[in-house]
Amino acid sequence: MRIFKVLGILFYAGTIILVGLGLIVLSLNILQPQDINNLLTYTQYNLNSRIIVGLIGALLILISFSFAQLILGRFQSEKTIAFTTASGEVTIALSAVEDLIKRLAGIIPEIRELRPDVIATKKGILVDLRVVLRSEANIPEITARLQEITKSKIQEVLGLEEQIITRIHVAKIIASEEKKRKDFDKQEPTMPFGGYGRV
Amino acid sequence: MHKEESRTDLGLIKIHKNVVASIASLAAMEVDGVKQIGKDLRSGLLELIDRKTVASIKVEFDKNEEVKIEIPLVIKYGFNVPEIANRVQENVRQALEKMTNLSIKDIDINIQGIERG
Repeated sequence: MRIFKVLGILFYAGTIILVGLGLIVLSLNILQPQDINNLLTYTQYNLNSRIIVGLIGALLILISFSFAQLILGRFQSEKTIAFTTASGEVTIALSAVEDLIKRLAGIIPEIRELRPDVIATKKGILVDLRVVLRSEANIPEITARLQEITKSKIQEVLGLEEQIITRIHVAKIIASEEKKRKDFDKQEPTMPFGGYGRV
Repeated sequence: MHKEESRTDLGLIKIHKNVVASIASLAAMEVDGVKQIGKDLRSGLLELIDRKTVASIKVEFDKNEEVKIEIPLVIKYGFNVPEIANRVQENVRQALEKMTNLSIKDIDINIQGIERG
């Protein structure tokens, strides 16, 4: 799926670049309208070239359709967690679970940023967390706490009994605001000859 | 079928799908913990063009004249999702039965998101 996406993006980028180059070449007078006319006339008169041009056109349409379907299909088939009640079915979008987890960043002050990715598997719910921590944080302690809070919050709010696996990836550790302030105070410049006073 | 029909001595009464959707929307919003009715691509586009709030609630009438409703919801943070879903289903069922006398088959709830703070 990812290869198709990359190919599609490359194809569109390539096409737009070609159009841009064509326009630049036209504006610089390197390519004359007569040359374009000759090229078009050549493709029109020769049967083989007409077939080739037609096939390229069909291929372009097919690529465009498949790429559009790939993008729209992703929007349509959003993965959900589902359970049934007496009145009907309840589905919870995985993005809703991600919204819920994002709110946990506010609970633990050592976490600066939290990016969750939730996947529903047969074994249970897999939560991948990318976190940015403040430098004073004790990583094993924080991550263990975060795993525990994530699990309990999902179970509490969503009422799910399935297994919840939380994987944490510490993406960045940044200096806390207090430390930055201390460093700034240390570096504050002293007034020249400030130590000399009147006797 | 676009409308639910019932015949009286004086004539025909038709209830449009949009009426059912409006009742369901209002009943769902009454429940504490519901932030808003979720949106789909179609309602989002229609809102952009018409600048009116379009309910994204799906209503289907089947052959047995039973109604199936699908309600997308955004829930407030801190509420228990299954509990809210249950209360919405119950409130919508009561409101529809009271106001339209329709027989309800299913009220499906689709939790699209948790309120972003």
